[in-house]
Amino acid sequence: MVAKSKLKMALAAEKGVDFKKLHLKKKEKAARKGKAKKNGGEVQPLNGKKVEEEWEDVEEEDEEEGAELDGDDSGSEEEVDGPMKIDFEGIDESDSDSSAGENDQNNEDSEDEDEEDIPMSDLEDLDEEEKEDIIPHQRLTINNTVALTAALKRIALPVSKLPFSEHQSVMTSEPVSIPDVSDDLNRELAFYAQSLSAVQEARKLLKAEGVPFTRPTDYFAEMVKADEHMAKIKAKLIDEAASKKASAEARKQRDLKKFGKQVQVAKLQERDKERKQTMEKIKVLKRKRQGADTENTNEADMFDVAVDDEIKDAKTSRKDRQGPNKRQKKDEKFGFGGKKRFKKSGDAMSSGDLKGFSSKKMKGVVKQRPGKARRAGKR
Amino acid sequence: MASVYKSLSKTNGHGKEGPANGVKKNKQRVLILSSRGITYRHRHLLNDIASLLPHSRKDAKLDTKSKLYQLNELAELYNCNNVFFFEARKGKDLYLWMSKAPNGPTVKMHMQNLHTMEELHFTGNCLKGSRPILSFDAAFDKEPHLRVIKELFLHIFGVPKGARKAKPFIDHVMGFTLADGKIWIRNYQINETEPSKAAPSDSTDTAPKPKKSGKDKETKVSLVEIGPRFVLTPIVIQEGSFGGPIIYENKEFVSPNQVRSEIRLKKAGRYNARAEQGIERLAKKGELGLRTSGGRKSKKDELDTAELFA
Repeated sequence: MVAKSKLKMALAAEKGVDFKKLHLKKKEKAARKGKAKKNGGEVQPLNGKKVEEEWEDVEEEDEEEGAELDGDDSGSEEEVDGPMKIDFEGIDESDSDSSAGENDQNNEDSEDEDEEDIPMSDLEDLDEEEKEDIIPHQRLTINNTVALTAALKRIALPVSKLPFSEHQSVMTSEPVSIPDVSDDLNRELAFYAQSLSAVQEARKLLKAEGVPFTRPTDYFAEMVKADEHMAKIKAKLIDEAASKKASAEARKQRDLKKFGKQVQVAKLQERDKERKQTMEKIKVLKRKRQGADTENTNEADMFDVAVDDEIKDAKTSRKDRQGPNKRQKKDEKFGFGGKKRFKKSGDAMSSGDLKGFSSKKMKGVVKQRPGKARRAGKR
Repeated sequence: MASVYKSLSKTNGHGKEGPANGVKKNKQRVLILSSRGITYRHRHLLNDIASLLPHSRKDAKLDTKSKLYQLNELAELYNCNNVFFFEARKGKDLYLWMSKAPNGPTVKMHMQNLHTMEELHFTGNCLKGSRPILSFDAAFDKEPHLRVIKELFLHIFGVPKGARKAKPFIDHVMGFTLADGKIWIRNYQINETEPSKAAPSDSTDTAPKPKKSGKDKETKVSLVEIGPRFVLTPIVIQEGSFGGPIIYENKEFVSPNQVRSEIRLKKAGRYNARAEQGIERLAKKGELGLRTSGGRKSKKDELDTAELFA
């Protein structure tokens, strides 16, 4: 105790640590240790080796075990002073008050605590300068593996012994890996795939156990979502589809409008061009005539038939035009010209027409009544 | 329909008797309730969950938030061995407590990203009270605290076989996945379609897999989500039921209060930085002797006009 620095002594005094008691305790411990060494002298080095091996396994748990340690402040202080090689029996006894019922491994964990990270409460013992260098972890994590497994054992269903239909839980063969949690699509896909594989496995098992799986189509019962709710969902879906369609339509119309204007302009230009061409032709013809002149008084020339021909060539008639011909359609439908009387009355042609005739229809269908057994079966 | 159910349950009864003799039966009842001060969304979610669990008993809101051990008595009153408790704080944060009633353990989790069935507009639907298949991520077996949580999920969300209001067919699956230190929960309808004759052409789809059923009929299975959705972050596991020593505490959990306060501090920091800048500028000006009052006075120049022509 004399070796301790003044500051430490002062701190200890403040905390009310009774050094005499501690000293006694330590002595007692040393004695015990000596005894243990005598008993298991040859085991000792082996144990030490084992500790080193196990350090690596346990490393993850180490940091989380921190809180356990600082429960017994004075005890841990002792351990730090002592040599690293401490036999487990000794520690077992000294630590037993902090965590009753813990096994050896747990104690090992708490041992190599001080190397990894320093819990907040331990910092109080250090002086200011030292404090600055050390980054304490914010939250003391507690992960009492032993207590957790004990709790689990207490409540666990014997899943392996129960038939599958009793618990219906499926574990994936390997953990679902989701590289980016904020990537909604892939994340949901992973969830979906997990559930789907579970369903397939479960179905196999349930079928093997003879448990009904598929709901028959004529089984009706209350559903989780009531009919109104489903109607609402359906209405929303329809709404969505309708709005999508409407927007597509509107876009199409817009495009058409834009395009239609161009078409109209082009048409007008074409018409202009056509007119110009015909005028040109007429002019040319007239010039020719004037040159050839008056002596051959052909009838055709007199009435400018050639001009007419030219024009006729250029000008397309109403009927030749492509596209929907409204007038023609209307004429077909309502009739145009010709006699209108007796149009609907029958004549020799119509009475001789056997197109709509079928002997089967004429006879009339008399269904044979099925036999009694069949009728009963149908019911 | 009753006849269908009767005939089915009869056949089940025969099959069950063998294994049920020796082994402890899966017998669960869940008390579902919330604290005061939950929002409508929390309430709707609670209702959704209650509707999915036919072995649950819903109770009125609990008056207290500090004396949660009262829940044990309540559970005993209703013969429940599980408690599913929503604790709302500040009218926005929701914590979920799951406990095995008399003796624990208890898990406290923070619930985020919750969406009720109603607001999700999913087309899936299932029988009210049909028994779900529970699908767990393999990561649940990796660590002891996760195994405890998984067991609790199994008890609370798994509908036991003999539950009173349970329906005889299986038409939905609940997925529990561990990602990013959080537990993501989804609920899907199982959609079985008999492949039509044209089906072989589109058998390349990912979802449908031909399966042999009992009647030698091949049906494709696909899933349609039903809802609700939520994400849970485990915070603490207690050994007892709403009491006892803490046997697990999540280091990575950041409470929503802290998040909010940090945001607020950041906002306050903007003003502080600006104010500091102003002071700095003043100090700099003072150093250069550009201020009329305060700061360092610039030394009188000997060639200053005021000096020369005094």
